[in-house]
Amino acid sequence: MTDTDAAPADEGAEEFGEPKRAGKREVRLVYWAFTVFYTALSVGICLLGRATPPPRPDVTRAQAAAWLYQHHLGIQIGFVFLLVIAGGAAISNGIIGYFMKRMSSGKMLAYAYIATMGVGAVPGFQVLLVCWLTATFRPDRSPDILYLLYDLGMLSYNGSLGCFTAAYTVLAIAVFYDRNRIFPKWFGYVTVWQIVTEILASQMWVHHAGAFAWNGMITLYIAIAIFGLWVACLLVLLRKAAGRESAHTPALYEAEGAR
Amino acid sequence: MSAPDDRLLRKDRRTVFAAWAALTAATVLARFLSPGESQSATALGDELVAAIVVLGLVKCRLVLRCFMEVRHAPRWLRFATDGWLAVLWSALLVIYLI
Amino acid sequence: MTAPGTTARPRPPARERRLPGDADMWVMILGDLFIFGCYFVTYMVFRAMSADEFTASQRHLDIDVGVVNTVVLLTSSLFAALAVLAVREGASRQAQRLLLATGACGVLFTLIKAYEWHAEISHGHTIHDEFYSFYFVLTGVHLVHLALGLLVLGVAGRELRNPRRRRPAIVEQCVLFWHMVDLLWVVIFALLYLMR
Repeated sequence: MTDTDAAPADEGAEEFGEPKRAGKREVRLVYWAFTVFYTALSVGICLLGRATPPPRPDVTRAQAAAWLYQHHLGIQIGFVFLLVIAGGAAISNGIIGYFMKRMSSGKMLAYAYIATMGVGAVPGFQVLLVCWLTATFRPDRSPDILYLLYDLGMLSYNGSLGCFTAAYTVLAIAVFYDRNRIFPKWFGYVTVWQIVTEILASQMWVHHAGAFAWNGMITLYIAIAIFGLWVACLLVLLRKAAGRESAHTPALYEAEGAR
Repeated sequence: MSAPDDRLLRKDRRTVFAAWAALTAATVLARFLSPGESQSATALGDELVAAIVVLGLVKCRLVLRCFMEVRHAPRWLRFATDGWLAVLWSALLVIYLI
Repeated sequence: MTAPGTTARPRPPARERRLPGDADMWVMILGDLFIFGCYFVTYMVFRAMSADEFTASQRHLDIDVGVVNTVVLLTSSLFAALAVLAVREGASRQAQRLLLATGACGVLFTLIKAYEWHAEISHGHTIHDEFYSFYFVLTGVHLVHLALGLLVLGVAGRELRNPRRRRPAIVEQCVLFWHMVDLLWVVIFALLYLMR
């Protein structure tokens, strides 16, 4: 498909080389925004906000309030910063969606990915920030409410699985059906593991301790390791895919008749 | 890939059937090693657990080698699968026995 | 993937070394085996921490149901392996029937599992018991893989129905996934039912 498309674009590229190359520079720029956002996310969530590795799920309300008080400065600095850059999630979805639109599997899957990930970012990211920021900026509220915010933040952050499962399913289907080889097939399989770990995360709603609680070996640590692997693969693959973009790559937003 | 000749295909078919028979036999054998619900409430003896582990390892290796055709695979794959088997089953046995 | 130096062969070698399926599928299988290995070791560690409770709960599992399920899944793998051999022979009609038998065994496994889950839950063995939380999660994740396997078998069947395609490599990859589902069950069976 790309081969036949690239042939006529070849001649055009020599005349109009400059504007096309500028377009590819955008892709590289967004790629770096993506890496910077994920790095900032890890620093904010793990080092400052202390949501990963998580606090214990089996504490009393006094312990929860004490934990929030003990880490209030880190949570406030880290999560306010993350709230400011939260739009980075949209840029990350954007670059993946951009490459999904390059796939022969159709644009519908790219839109579905962007939409599900966009919706998923609210419970999986924003709600945690808002809950814990409220708890740390209003420490005078009743311990019951702080306790609720503590639980709500963690459960929303780790237990909101439906949107992500759908997003990973859509991405895996797109990779498997793609004939343009934008992403290798094995990355589709790595994405399938993500679906399975998201399904497993449903367990943390019913368990307060053990391997299936929100700080459990299976629901959290193995899942986090797989997620880290997925992001690492994605970073490498996006970099490669961005590197393959050349002046000859057909633009996404051509007139429909040219296709 | 060259066209497979009949002799090799017949051999493969025999291997697959033999593996299935061995796997089923090992499953039934393992069932009789493990005591049923009616038996005493103590945990299994160490020798029995070791036997179950060995049977499980042999069964897994049969599936990998005969069904998944790892026996004709490049060396890295044979090493990788054997390594997984060895690490997993020895870890399970050691943790059980501790 | 083949051995180097294939220019002059004095005699045809017994068997060329070749990768069954493709490398992508092996990434999936080896990764999945590693992930499940982590789950299995986690189970064993939690079992070791409260061995008596686990043993007491494990006694309520019916080994015979587990044995029947194992044999059903092993038989499905037999059909799947025979299907690959049939495809290599060019007998795609026979291969389709064998894949259908594989899928039927998979469905039968699911039905037996559903019966077993129903029996355990109606006896009050739910996830509030630590062993049963592992039991439901491990068998549940395995069932998810089995469902994916049925989907993958469907892909192989579609490949065979189209007379212009019939690529043996695709059928091999799909069947490899099915064997992995079987392989994982062999470990789960030993872990949950036998090692008590």
